[in-house]
Amino acid sequence: MKHNRFILFMLLPTLLLISFIILYPTISGVLLSFKNYSVFNFGNIKWIGMENFKEIFGDIFYMDVVWNTIKWIFFSVIFQLLFGFILALLMKEPFKGRGLYAGLVFYPWAISGFAIGLIWSWLLNGQFGVINDILIKLGFIKEGFNFLSDPTLAMFSVILVNVWYGIPFFAIMILAALQSIPNSLYEAAEIDGAGYFTKLFKITIPYIKPTLINTILLRVIWVMNFPDIIYGMTRGGPAGSTEILSVKMINTVFYESNYSKAAAHGVIIVLILLIYTIMYLKLTSKKEFSL
Amino acid sequence: MKKNKIAGKIIRIILLIIFLIFALFPLYWIVLTSLKPTYELYTFPIKYWTINPTFYGYKKLFEFVNFKQYFSNSIFVSFLASFISTIFAMLSGYVLSRKEFKGRYAVILFLFFSQMIPSYLIMVPQYVMFSNFHLINKLISIVIVYSGFGAAFSTIMAKGFFDRIPKSIEEAALIDGCNEIQSLFKITIPLMLPGLSAILSFSFVNNWNELFTAVMFLNTSNKYTVPVGLYSIVSKAGIQWNVLAAGIVVALLPTIIVFAAAQKYIIAGLTQGSLKD
Repeated sequence: MKHNRFILFMLLPTLLLISFIILYPTISGVLLSFKNYSVFNFGNIKWIGMENFKEIFGDIFYMDVVWNTIKWIFFSVIFQLLFGFILALLMKEPFKGRGLYAGLVFYPWAISGFAIGLIWSWLLNGQFGVINDILIKLGFIKEGFNFLSDPTLAMFSVILVNVWYGIPFFAIMILAALQSIPNSLYEAAEIDGAGYFTKLFKITIPYIKPTLINTILLRVIWVMNFPDIIYGMTRGGPAGSTEILSVKMINTVFYESNYSKAAAHGVIIVLILLIYTIMYLKLTSKKEFSL
Repeated sequence: MKKNKIAGKIIRIILLIIFLIFALFPLYWIVLTSLKPTYELYTFPIKYWTINPTFYGYKKLFEFVNFKQYFSNSIFVSFLASFISTIFAMLSGYVLSRKEFKGRYAVILFLFFSQMIPSYLIMVPQYVMFSNFHLINKLISIVIVYSGFGAAFSTIMAKGFFDRIPKSIEEAALIDGCNEIQSLFKITIPLMLPGLSAILSFSFVNNWNELFTAVMFLNTSNKYTVPVGLYSIVSKAGIQWNVLAAGIVVALLPTIIVFAAAQKYIIAGLTQGSLKD
């Protein structure tokens, strides 16, 4: 009995706080999405059923936003994974100053997404941006790109920046997994005459597969829900070309002040994520997902 | 065979350097921009170095945009919220790591899923909730919100750190006549200090960087946090890039310091704490 009281005493503060700050608002957000709570009807808030959802799905540009979101997630995660993996492989063997190197190369991950967006919007500035200057000096291009004002280039640009931001996270997770691979596996393979790539595909990748699966699952969710960089760079523009679902939701709050419609956007995002998580776990087999 | 090894080594070094340049160049550029005099910002050819460094950008920042106030607001909010969530996480992480009880797995699942709900998705309901308590435009409201988000993640991290401290150490203390709470505070928590500082630093960085909830909750300039301050500077037309760059650099400073100090432990906490049961 005393034992249980101790457990309760230790857990309760956290559980109450999280229920109050996350659980309750999540439920209340679902309810809010069926109301008409906006700056324009504070005096007359009522239940309007599916109206917000109808309005969202009736928007002819909504599919563009969904498509943007898919592009944003797919290319961001693929390249974060690829470069993060390469970086982790490079850092696997100890070298002098590896601790310092890790601190420097992983640092982007500690910067606020919004600040990253601002920094890169200056680097990619069409007129005064240093990236154009470097590309011209290296002879790759003759004239500067309008990275952020050209709708086709804008999506490419925000993804590029998101990749820059996300490489450290993948590298950190993969590096930790790489270091748990017993060296004897490699030694045995070397005796059999295996080369670098044989070892990579036959030992390394299978061994760290659970980590890869977990990290990709988490990353897709986070990348989908990461409006910060886009907000610092384009706020969804030009002409909606970088508007992803989470940016759309934020814009509904800040520009339309339609809180119920914003909540409806949020509900849709959560539903998509739920479906994604369930499907992902089914496809990758639950056994490898260790919570 | 040997030749291959040397070639491999050289390729490896080159790639490591490329990654480093790629990671650091944007930071170099923003620091450089913050130190450039205004007339050098928009001239050609672009200058990769400045011989006339000036603190004009920083001066402007603190004179015109009240950045000092934003900075102290951010320090207050970030420290208090990380402190609260770390203490909560310490208590619950300990129990989740050490005790077997009914519903333990459900609690872990609950924590796991609540940390997956991103802040901006529920900021509207939170806003409605807090406005019912008349807590809008008060720093304490975002302290509470950040503590809640921090507690979810930090508990999972704390559990991971506790898992790595051998149980036998506590058991020995119990045999020596300590009770459970004594052994927790006298033995386990001192061993947990690196872990706790990692958790504290990690939440600090997160809280320091949070933008959207703060923009929503804080609406007068004397209450702004640093990210909200940056956000408001960007919204103003005609901002000079050296001033904005100075703002970004000032915004980065605390995370640089915290990350440099606790980087090793933060990474350990991330990789071993977050996902393993």
